[in-house]
Amino acid sequence: MESKNMSEQQEISLSILKKRWLKFKTLRRGYYSFIIILTLYILSWFLPILINNRALVVSYEGDLYFPVFSGYHAGSVFHQDVPGEAVYRELKAEWKQADSENWLIMPPYPYSPYEDITVQGNKMFEEPSSTHWLGTDNTGRDVFSRLCYAFNISISFALILSTLNYFIGILIGGSMGYFGGKFDLIFQRLIEIWSSLPMLFVIIIISSIIRPTFFLLIFIYTIVNWIGMTYLMRAEFYREKSKDYVAAALSMGQTNFKVMFKHILPNSLVPVITYFPFSVVGGITALVSLDYLGFGMPPPTPSWGQMLDVGLSNIPKWWMVFAPVSAQFVTLIMVVFIGEAVREAFDPKVYSRLR
Amino acid sequence: MSNNTLVDVKNLSVHFPVYGGVFSKRIATVKAVDGINFSIDRKQIVGMVGESGCGKTTVGRAMINILRHVAPGVEIGGSIEYHFGDEVVDFAKLSSSEVRKYRSRVQMIFQDPYASLNPRMTVAQIISEPLQLHTDMNNKEQTERVGWLLNKVGLQPEQAKRYPHEFSGGQRQRVGIARALATNPDLIICDEPVSALDVSIQAQVINLMLDLQEEFDVSYLFIAHDLSVVEHISDKIAVMYLGDMAEYGNAQDVYHHPRHPYSKALLSAVPLPDPSRKNRKRIVLQGDVPTPLNKPSGCAFRTRCPIAQPSCAESKPEFKEQAKDHFVACPLVEDN
Ligand SMILES: Nc1ncnc2c1ncn2[C@@H]1O[C@H](COP(=O)(O)OP(=O)(O)O)[C@@H](O)[C@H]1O
Ligand code: SF4
Ligand SMILES: [Mg+2]
Repeated sequence: MESKNMSEQQEISLSILKKRWLKFKTLRRGYYSFIIILTLYILSWFLPILINNRALVVSYEGDLYFPVFSGYHAGSVFHQDVPGEAVYRELKAEWKQADSENWLIMPPYPYSPYEDITVQGNKMFEEPSSTHWLGTDNTGRDVFSRLCYAFNISISFALILSTLNYFIGILIGGSMGYFGGKFDLIFQRLIEIWSSLPMLFVIIIISSIIRPTFFLLIFIYTIVNWIGMTYLMRAEFYREKSKDYVAAALSMGQTNFKVMFKHILPNSLVPVITYFPFSVVGGITALVSLDYLGFGMPPPTPSWGQMLDVGLSNIPKWWMVFAPVSAQFVTLIMVVFIGEAVREAFDPKVYSRLR
Repeated sequence: MSNNTLVDVKNLSVHFPVYGGVFSKRIATVKAVDGINFSIDRKQIVGMVGESGCGKTTVGRAMINILRHVAPGVEIGGSIEYHFGDEVVDFAKLSSSEVRKYRSRVQMIFQDPYASLNPRMTVAQIISEPLQLHTDMNNKEQTERVGWLLNKVGLQPEQAKRYPHEFSGGQRQRVGIARALATNPDLIICDEPVSALDVSIQAQVINLMLDLQEEFDVSYLFIAHDLSVVEHISDKIAVMYLGDMAEYGNAQDVYHHPRHPYSKALLSAVPLPDPSRKNRKRIVLQGDVPTPLNKPSGCAFRTRCPIAQPSCAESKPEFKEQAKDHFVACPLVEDN
C-alpha cells in the first residue's frame, strides 16, 4: 500500500512529455526498434574504423602508421609491389607468412565501399562468402560494406531533411496560423502555386543540369517538402491560438514570439513528434528512388538505390537485389514500428492502453 | 463620472469582418458589440448578464485589449478609458506594444478552466509568468509569492509543482484566480468563472472571489449568463442583448425594478423562492436570438419583445438615464 502510494505520488507530477516517453518504453516493438536503429546509426558514424580496407595501425620497421586517419600510403612505402595504394590485407598475409617483425591491425571487416576491380584480388560479382559477406557488385566492390555506408547516408539524409522541413514548417506554418490575416493569405496562395508544380520533374531537371551533392539534394527536397509540415503547423497554431491560455499569456503582456514558442509550440508537438518517423521514412524512400533513377548522389557514393539498379539489371546475381531490398525493408519497417509506437504513446484515448 | 472611476467605457463597438469567396472579399460583419456605455468604479463589482452570444466575452476581451491578436481584422470603436492614478489610458486605441506596460493592471479569469491553463506548464510556472513579466522578483521571491497566492485561493503551496491535468475544475479555476491576482491588478474581468463548474462548488468559488475582492481591493467585471449569480454579489448590473446594452444601473434597482422588457423576461426566469415576487408572471420570450450577422433594424430586441410597437423598428432606442443612475434602452417604458 505504502509503496503504491509512493509510486503514484511520483507519477503524478511528470510532465506530459515524460509520461509519453514512459508509455513509449512499454511498447516493446517500437521501443526496441528505436534502440536498434539508434545504436546502428551511432555505430555507423564509426564505420571508417569498423569497415575499411585501410589498416588501423601499421608497424613497419619500427615506425607506426595510422592509414585510417592519415589516408593514402603508396604500396612502395611498405615495400609492397603494387601500383598505387598499399593493399593492407595482402600485406598482413605476407608478413604473417614470412613471420616478419612488421605487423598491422585491420578493421573488423577489411573492405571499403570504394575499392573495385582495380585493386588486386577483387573480382566482379563474387558470390556471398565468409570474406565478402554479401558478395561483390558489378565493379568488384564489397556489397556489405557499401550497404553499411549507405545506411549512414540514408538515415542522415532523412534526418537532416525532416529536421529542415520541420524548422521551416514551424516557422512559416506557425506564423501563418498565429498571425493569420494577409500574411496567411499570401502564403496560402504561394503554397497552392508551389504545390501544383510537378516537383519530380523539377528535381530531375535540376539534377541533370547540376551534379547533385548530398546537401544540394537536401536543399532540393526541402524546397519540395516544406509544404506538408507548413500546413500541419498552420492548422495546429491556428487551433491553439484561440484557446484561453494563449489569451491569458497575451493579457499578461507576453510577446508574440514567446507566446508562439513557449506556449503554443509545446502544445503542438504531438503531431510534430508522431509524424517525424514517417517523415524519416519519406526521406529514406525519396533518396532511394532518386538514386535508383540515377539522379541522386554522384557515383561512387554507396547508396541503396544505385545497388538496386545494378541488381535489377543483373537479376541472376540475386545478392545484388536481396541486399539493398532487405536492408531497406528492415530499416523502413523498424522506423515504421517506432512511428506506430510513438503514435500510440501520444494517443490520449484509454482503450489503446488495453491492447 | 466620479473621482473613483476606474474605467469608463464609452460607445464601445466591436465588429468582426467576415471574409469569403475566392478573393477573400469582405462579405459581412458580425456586430458583436454595437455601441455600449458603462463604467466601473474602484473596488466595485459590476455584473454583466445576457444570453450566450450577446457579446459579453467580446466586451471582456476588448477591455484587456487582446481582440486584435485573436481576430486581426477586428474593428474597435469608441473608447475604454482606464484611470490609473493620474494617467488616463484608452485601451481601445493603444497598440499591443503600447499597452504592454499596463497589462499587469487588468487581468482576466476565463470561463473554461481546462483551456485557460497551459497544459504543458506547472502551476508554479503558470502563476509566476506574470511575476516574471511585471516584477523584478528573483526565483526565490517568485516561489514564495506563488505559495502565498496558492494559500490565498485555498490550495496547498506544495501543489505548485503539479500540472493542471492533476486538478479538478474548481481547483484549476482557483489557479486561474491566483494567476489573475499575481500582479495586484486594479480590475479583473471574470468571464463566467463558475459556469463550467459543478453546481456544488460554484458557491465556494464565488465566495472565495468575494473575499479576495475585499482583500486585494480589486474591481470585478463579473460576467454571467443568468441574473441569479450576479444579483447578490454585484454593486451594479448591466444587461446585454445582441451586442447592445439594454439596461444598466444599481443592482437593487435592476433586480427589483427592472425596466427594460428584456430584463423583465430574464428576471422572471430566475427560480428564486422570493416571497415578495411570488405572484410574478413568468415571461417566456418567443423565438430565438437573431444572429449578430443580421441584426434587426431599430431596437434589436423587437423581434421578441412582448410590447414592441411599429416605431421600434425605426431607430435604435436611446440609452437613457430614466431614473438616477438607471440607464435603459427602451423609450416605451420611460414613464413607468
Ligand atoms: N473572432 C471572432 N470572429 C467572428 N465573430 C466572433 C468572434 N468572436 C466572437 N464572435 C461573435 O461575436 C458574438 C458574441 O460572442 P461572445 O462575445 O463570445 O458572446 P458571449 O460571451 O456573450 O456568449 C457571437 O455571435 C460570436 O459568434
Ligand atoms: S424599444 Fe420597442 S422593441 Fe425595443 S425593448 Fe422597447 S418596446 Fe421592445
Ligand atoms: Mg462568453
